[in-house]
Amino acid sequence: MKYMILLYGSQQDYDVLAGKSTDKPAMTAEEVEAMHAYMGEYHQKLVESGELVGGHGLTAPVHARRVQLANGAPVVTDGPYPETQEVLAGFTIVDCASFDRATEIAAGLVNPDAKGEYVDIRPIAGGFDDIQ
Amino acid sequence: MIAPAVPEDLLRRLAPQVLGALVRRYGRFDACEDAVQEALLAAATQWPSEGRPDNPLAWLIRVASRRLTDLLRSEQARQRREDTVARWAPVQPTQAAETRDADDSLVLLFLCCHPALSPASQIALTLRAIGGLTTAEIARAFLVPEATMGKRIGRAKQAIRDSGVPFGMPPPAERAARLAAVLHVLYLIFNEGYATTSGPRLHRADLAAEAIRLARMLHRLLPDDGEVAGLLALMLLTDARRPARTGPDGSLIPMEEQDRSRWNARYIAEGVALVTGALPRGTTGPYQLQAAIAAVHDEAPDAASTDWPQILALYEVLLSISDNPVVRLNHAVAVAMVRGPRAGLALLDELDGRLPTDHRVPAVRAHLLEMAGDAAAARDRYAAAADMAASLPMQRYLNGRAARLG
Repeated sequence: MKYMILLYGSQQDYDVLAGKSTDKPAMTAEEVEAMHAYMGEYHQKLVESGELVGGHGLTAPVHARRVQLANGAPVVTDGPYPETQEVLAGFTIVDCASFDRATEIAAGLVNPDAKGEYVDIRPIAGGFDDIQ
Repeated sequence: MIAPAVPEDLLRRLAPQVLGALVRRYGRFDACEDAVQEALLAAATQWPSEGRPDNPLAWLIRVASRRLTDLLRSEQARQRREDTVARWAPVQPTQAAETRDADDSLVLLFLCCHPALSPASQIALTLRAIGGLTTAEIARAFLVPEATMGKRIGRAKQAIRDSGVPFGMPPPAERAARLAAVLHVLYLIFNEGYATTSGPRLHRADLAAEAIRLARMLHRLLPDDGEVAGLLALMLLTDARRPARTGPDGSLIPMEEQDRSRWNARYIAEGVALVTGALPRGTTGPYQLQAAIAAVHDEAPDAASTDWPQILALYEVLLSISDNPVVRLNHAVAVAMVRGPRAGLALLDELDGRLPTDHRVPAVRAHLLEMAGDAAAARDRYAAAADMAASLPMQRYLNGRAARLG
């Protein structure tokens, strides 16, 4: 069964990562480096265990573009999110034995030092559901 | 003129024989398996242009042996460089002699379904080493990247290597449990193909066909084993209904509403013959019983003439050998069909605790309430079941049932 693990962050969180000072202190280069190293190693372990299907980090919300239609014509809004809105920041897809195993994997993607941080796990559709 | 393609089924059929011959001669299942894959690839590319050799099996063994020599030579060179100790030793002649008479394919199946491996690894390795599928094909069927599937297979082979299991039949004391593991792996492969509700359907359906092919092979190897016959029969009798199981729009059609003329009559005849042949022989196991139940359904010309007392009797035997909540759920349906919906409903209460998140419990309850004429309660349970179901076609089916009750 496949699961998508979703990671969230606000523009402010991205600014912290980018070394920009906001009301939260900016991360040092070493901290950023350590975080990337951790994520790299963590995903490599999932490659080795044969469980990683894929994953990507997304660029800062400010680079997002929202498309709507007005009378059938696309209307584009750049950077549509408020500064503090938590939006999807990245995802990891795993193919593993159970929801519990996916939960275990997901727990390793939560930063233990960031109070209140969470990730979500969503089972991917198309897995089997018992049908006669 | 285009050269005739190499019949894929020939290569796939020969794959375990080539692998068996190599492992028997050289030991080293993991390296042999890689060498066989390369030989199969060489055959698929060379035979169409150069013609099929007179003795395809001998050709494949020769080419695979050559590749194995290359692989082992480069590996030895690497090991010398890394100063690691090789774990493997050549097969002892005594081991080879003991297992000489056993069919290699069977030995390989036991090896690929070794209990040291996770089910996902057992499945992947069985499809590659016995099924002769490439890593890319297996990856596509399971919708994972090829690299992921490659790792899974690599780890499985590593685990077999580390376990030091000899290439041979498991000792008699372990045999029943090991065969049960093989049957379970084939059943899981079948389910992956049969029970999928989305994704590239063609590839997934191929998995069911592959599971049937492997079960046929196992049945040829162990013709007297009732559970092997039972599993093959169960697959055939289940797969027979596939054409009628979904409507043209992809919606689910429950068995009682399926157009039975669309069921696969050839599969049903074959499955029924297998069950009939296996039942009188020795002990009756869960696959045989499930196949027998499927046979009773498949033989009924329409839903109304289903022999429910027979199905109920079979579920009672099945319950006596495995107290599985899903079996209990189906048993409750059979009880309802024979003794009335209220008798079935009374059996469902204990299942709420055992399958608290399973949509099938409220779905069955809804169905029995509907039979009992309690439309309001049935509607409520159908809606609850729809909320619990994960697949969209199942949700649509259950919501549709709820809506039909007004």
